[in-house]
Amino acid sequence: MSDTALKEEDRTPADAPRWWERGDVRAVFLIWLILSAVGIAFAWVPAWLMGLSASSEMDDVKMTMTWFTAIAMPVGAVIWAVMIYSLWKWRYRGEQPPPDDAPGFQTNPPTVVMWIVISAVLTLFVFAWGLVKIAAISPAMAMTSAATSASSGLRVEVTGNQWAWNFTYPQLGNIQSDVLHIPLGEQTTFAVSSVDVIHSFWIVQMAVKVDANPGAITYLTVTPTKAGTFEVRCAELCGLYHAAMETTSVVSSRKDFDAWVAEMRAVKPVSSMTEGGA
Amino acid sequence: MAIATHEVSAAPGSRRAGGVLLRKMSVVTAIACGLILMFAAHYWAVNFFVMPELPEGQDAPSALVYLLENRVTLTTMAGWVVGFMLGIGAFNGPVRWFFGKDLSDADLLYQAGKDQGVWRYFRFTTDHKVVGIQYLVITMSLLGCGGTIAMLIRTNLMTPSSSFLGPTAYNTFVGMHGIIMIVATIIMVTGPFGNFILPIMIGARDMAFPRLNALSFWLIASVVPVLLSTPFLGGMPTGWVAYNPLADQAPPGMDAFVMTIIVFAISSAVAGANITTTAVKMRTRGMTWTRTPIFVYGVVASVGLAIPAFPAFMASQVLSGLDRAAGTTFYNPAEGGSGWLYANLFWIMGHPEVYVILIPAVAALLELTPVFCRRPLFSFKAAVVAIAGIVGLSVLVWAHHMYMSGWAPSLGGSFMLTTELISIPTGLLFLVFIGTMWRGRIWTRLPMMAVYAMLWNFVIGGITGVYLSDIPADSAMHGSMFVTAHFHYTLMGAALTGTIGAVIYWFPKMTGRMFDEKIGAWGFWLIQIGFNVTFIGMFTVGFAGQPRRVFNYSEAFAVGNFVSTMGAYTIGIGALIFLGVVIASWRRGIVATANPWGAKTLEWQVPTPVPLENFDVLPVVTSDPYGYGKSDARPPDSPSDRPREGVGV
Repeated sequence: MSDTALKEEDRTPADAPRWWERGDVRAVFLIWLILSAVGIAFAWVPAWLMGLSASSEMDDVKMTMTWFTAIAMPVGAVIWAVMIYSLWKWRYRGEQPPPDDAPGFQTNPPTVVMWIVISAVLTLFVFAWGLVKIAAISPAMAMTSAATSASSGLRVEVTGNQWAWNFTYPQLGNIQSDVLHIPLGEQTTFAVSSVDVIHSFWIVQMAVKVDANPGAITYLTVTPTKAGTFEVRCAELCGLYHAAMETTSVVSSRKDFDAWVAEMRAVKPVSSMTEGGA
Repeated sequence: MAIATHEVSAAPGSRRAGGVLLRKMSVVTAIACGLILMFAAHYWAVNFFVMPELPEGQDAPSALVYLLENRVTLTTMAGWVVGFMLGIGAFNGPVRWFFGKDLSDADLLYQAGKDQGVWRYFRFTTDHKVVGIQYLVITMSLLGCGGTIAMLIRTNLMTPSSSFLGPTAYNTFVGMHGIIMIVATIIMVTGPFGNFILPIMIGARDMAFPRLNALSFWLIASVVPVLLSTPFLGGMPTGWVAYNPLADQAPPGMDAFVMTIIVFAISSAVAGANITTTAVKMRTRGMTWTRTPIFVYGVVASVGLAIPAFPAFMASQVLSGLDRAAGTTFYNPAEGGSGWLYANLFWIMGHPEVYVILIPAVAALLELTPVFCRRPLFSFKAAVVAIAGIVGLSVLVWAHHMYMSGWAPSLGGSFMLTTELISIPTGLLFLVFIGTMWRGRIWTRLPMMAVYAMLWNFVIGGITGVYLSDIPADSAMHGSMFVTAHFHYTLMGAALTGTIGAVIYWFPKMTGRMFDEKIGAWGFWLIQIGFNVTFIGMFTVGFAGQPRRVFNYSEAFAVGNFVSTMGAYTIGIGALIFLGVVIASWRRGIVATANPWGAKTLEWQVPTPVPLENFDVLPVVTSDPYGYGKSDARPPDSPSDRPREGVGV
């Protein structure tokens, strides 16, 4: 994007260089190239900061972050290159206003058009990326309750209340828990709701996030790809102890999961809500 | 134009048909009157909203206690606001008109603040320059309050399990920091500069409706104490978004928020009508739309955008207040209401509001860039189109705040498109900046450094916004510290930096003295460095999954938060230095000449201090305001202007 070259020439009347031959343009292009290269070299940082991934959705999100960062760096570098070069080359130091001897051109239509076209292309790319990933990431976001209940796999009813999460397993004798247990490698559908205010159900390492609304049920599916213990948080300010509204999500093999279910069913034939303390 | 009429008749000035009361009114009578009406309203409410007789031994139902409490609180606050406005003299004109005694010319001149010295700043003064200074002072005070609260918040977040504030105070301060800063940043450009500078810039003697101008300011002044009373009324646990149904279970501190927003929405509607009318109808002869400075476009875009946006905010709070005080159930899902209704109303205001804040600040920098680069504004028309594009698109993007809410997930794609399209006009503004700087004579005074700082910050703020606009990324980042860092980069890094640039740029005209750039630069750069440290630290913990608005957090986020807090203290020190320089320069700075920057817009062509009516003779504009640099239209024998093929393609 070195097309920030503009049509006024240097003061040499004859043999004025073409825009890409001019010193300013070449210097800015060089700075842009360096900045972009450095920026792209660090495009892995966001995904690295995001840490562990425990679902294919999270893999997708991390890839999105890396790609967006890699694309964003050259875009930002255009501005940064002109900033650096202008301070170095065109700086005026003085007490009084500078003389009026800068070039007086007011616009450069090819540059403007090029700029708009490139930013439009980038925007459409980002949009298309988003559409493709929405389809991949959360098909259940748009699911109706009927479609979801018909779908196979484990179903977990997630209920937010101030300030704890409660998980009910309707297919497994309505056992309840304040720690989320789900089997590895199997599709799980969450039916998320709330008994008081708006919460947001968030399994950090699985990129699972949907609001828990009082009086409504929202759906989301995930297929865990990693066994272990992951964090469940609330992502919507829900009052005094919003910060403490955390629990864990245990992803284990089917065998271990079944063992846990059996244990739960043996220990407490639950009828009343198990309230999590605040 | 109120004060221009004094030429018509100077004779009946001795008429003592009133005006005595008008001359006694000031902020002192306003506070006195406000307090009287507040106590009267409180007394009346306590006696009117009483608990019905209960059967023996039965406790009052808590829902009813709650309703009565909110009724009393809201009535008391309304009493204060009405009393304050009565006492400041906001209703003098209408009342006199009602009785057939319009204000005399002497009254009008008095209201414009003629020959009143410092006291005119404490009265219902109609002179746009007085209102501009009033706005500047109230903006800086609000920024000071919000900033102090931010320091408390960051201190609490310095360590993972701090008990510095405790949950109640922490949540209240988070909400108050938010709403105070939102109010302050909404008025920070259109208030001080839109009032002081804009009328002079377009060659007018005052605003179109000078009394509405004073009204818009004093409404805000009246409601600031209401907002600041929140912590004393039990606080607010909701953050500045005041989501329902959480807001419905909040203590009476929430009523302060409701009242503040309702009054603020009236104020911004009044200001919006006034400023747009002024810019459209009162530009001087010869100031065609292509000769109108870009700052005027920015201010008009901002207040124009506020006109459709803030009524939605007001409506959301009126319904919230009714739920709280009248027992309605607009937002109560148990009774058939919906929290999504609130979220929609709120964000229909909430996203245009971001541009209400951003556009005028960026436009102020667009205004000063040609001056300090000695170049015409690059592609003026592209800048206008970009501003218009942002305004148009910004009313269609609100639901990107609700991607994860479960409300209409099938609309996600459309809102993603509108949101991402906004980056095209926004990107165009960047081209205007760097095109103006291209081969300029860049005079690196402090206002120009604000342009550089803003470009750096706004690139980061803009690009992280693109991440968030994309649903897959948002599913990880929504509700995390990443969002907090992103919008601080746009609202503080871009908009507040732009405002700081505007303050330094117009300081000589508004105060008559030069801003001390030597010491001021220390404050400025400490703010910028501290800002980047704070919010880059916040990006890292956001990526790692720290939720927003938490008073304690996991050990995993300890380092990033500590860095953020250190950065925040740096901002605090920088801001104090900057504030000190503003005050010191205002009092004893070097006396400014009329046009210290050598700028070409009209406000620099009038004397400093600006006379009461700005211009002796209204100017006639014959050229565009950015005629810097060597003329483009030189005779064809000049070899350097010979058109050549292939240029710039």
